[in-house]
Amino acid sequence: MTRPDVSTAEPASPPAGFSVHEFARTARGSHRAELDLDAYATRPLEAGALEMVALLERLERGALSYLRSVLVTPTHKDARVTGFLVTWAYEKFWVADALELIVAAHPDFVPATADAPKLRAARHALAERLEPIRESVVANLIGDDVVAVHCAAGAIDEWITATAYERLAEFTDHPVFAATMTRLRDVKRRHDTYFTDEARRRLAASPAAGRLARRRLRRASWPLGAVDEPPPLVARLLGGLVIASDLVDLDARVDALPGLAGLDLVTTAAQGARKAAAR
Amino acid sequence: MAFDIDQYTETSEGVTWEDLDFGAFDTTPLGEYTLRTVRYMCNVEYHTVCYLRDLLVTPSHKERDVNAFMTMWNREEYWHGEALAAVLGRHGITVDYDELKAARVKLEWRDKLAPLRQSIMGNLVGDDFVAVHMAWGAANEWSATAAYRRLATLEQHPALSPLLKRIGQQETRHTAFYATQARKRLEKSALARKLTRLALAKAWRPVGSSISDEEDLDHVMKHLFNGADGLAEIRRIDTNIAKLPGMEGLTIFETALRRHEMDWPAA
Ligand SMILES: [Fe+2]
Ligand SMILES: [Fe+2]
Repeated sequence: MTRPDVSTAEPASPPAGFSVHEFARTARGSHRAELDLDAYATRPLEAGALEMVALLERLERGALSYLRSVLVTPTHKDARVTGFLVTWAYEKFWVADALELIVAAHPDFVPATADAPKLRAARHALAERLEPIRESVVANLIGDDVVAVHCAAGAIDEWITATAYERLAEFTDHPVFAATMTRLRDVKRRHDTYFTDEARRRLAASPAAGRLARRRLRRASWPLGAVDEPPPLVARLLGGLVIASDLVDLDARVDALPGLAGLDLVTTAAQGARKAAAR
Repeated sequence: MAFDIDQYTETSEGVTWEDLDFGAFDTTPLGEYTLRTVRYMCNVEYHTVCYLRDLLVTPSHKERDVNAFMTMWNREEYWHGEALAAVLGRHGITVDYDELKAARVKLEWRDKLAPLRQSIMGNLVGDDFVAVHMAWGAANEWSATAAYRRLATLEQHPALSPLLKRIGQQETRHTAFYATQARKRLEKSALARKLTRLALAKAWRPVGSSISDEEDLDHVMKHLFNGADGLAEIRRIDTNIAKLPGMEGLTIFETALRRHEMDWPAA
């Protein structure tokens, strides 16, 4: 009698509810015609909100960085996942484009990060020299489990940024901006559904994937890409915009993923950003 | 030729075929010989994402225009795969994600080191290596346009030929991006010209050769490029490569195809 090897077995079937083909077919592209940018001339957003919009834009543009770290691992072999990611990157491109145009509609606004690009570039360049190489070596050894980690990371990142969109719409009290936030939040909903379903299914199928995810997710910055951002901005995103009770709720959602209870990723990230910002 | 990235991103869309008369495949089905070629093309299109990962581990992904292009380009190629899969589906040939995955798993030994090597090389020589990628991309896209044009001409099929023409029009835009990028970078750097010439002359292989069986590749090359017209098409795209700075006199396509004992008129 043969016994299936639980740790390496491919999860039996893809999530029944989500069709990657359908997602690709109904991808949401440019939002430019719907942004009503003139409204910001008569009623601009405050600098604090714009700072968050600009930060979220940069984070959404991180899609290709995520793709880079994912595609050098065995995840690239999973044609269903890569099929999803192709459309996901496309939708995120247009989400970032919308955010960028909103910031640009405020010609007087100067982002607080304007004096930091050199430092960021240096840090990023260093990370690039180390990360993809190390990741590809390690991940090729680990195999399929790493796909679960990537899906969990995608889900958690999506939960955090989606909460930020919702809070931004609420706190700014600006109907045109709120309408755009709702629109972008809608686009992100399918990303959430896919990543969450995939992560749950894959983590449930492999305890080894859960152990790997616990190690990897602790090392990541939250939201993904925050490592390249000024800590004061990240601190304002986590704990300011995304309020304290949200942080607890977000961690509870992580807890509910198979094998990931007790990580406290989001509250830890918020604390870390606060400490770094105080230095 | 300049390339307007904003214009490209705003007009990028998945290729459509719903308005084409796919019923024509029921009355005039494609032969097995042609279906084998379509199958090869379909696989290549779906596997574009694997090529993307090689591009992304090099410094090129930091650049904004390049990022925008890569996002749109990769999606267009995915849809070329979907369109060709729909053609195959009409002939009872299923191309699904599980099968594509199986093909990628099978190739494990071949591409395991590729991202490593590419990443190290890419970071060592920095921007000059991006020029290699761009010229390589241009070569791939030129050969894709040539392949689709040839197949459309050979088949003269009421549904397939117009579909291939649509796909080919998108490939032409890809060509414009890669060639513009390559030209700009090659003009700036003698090292870039040297590296690119070396890479193209020594390492260039037909698109898809790394993800396909040798027999399939041989079939496709002969099917599409045998004969005087095939040779003329190959020479036409070789001329395009040779026009890039520092690439004068290269004949990478003709050289690569001569390995296949093509049925070509004597020179
Ligand atoms: Fe294509
Ligand atoms: Fe192409």
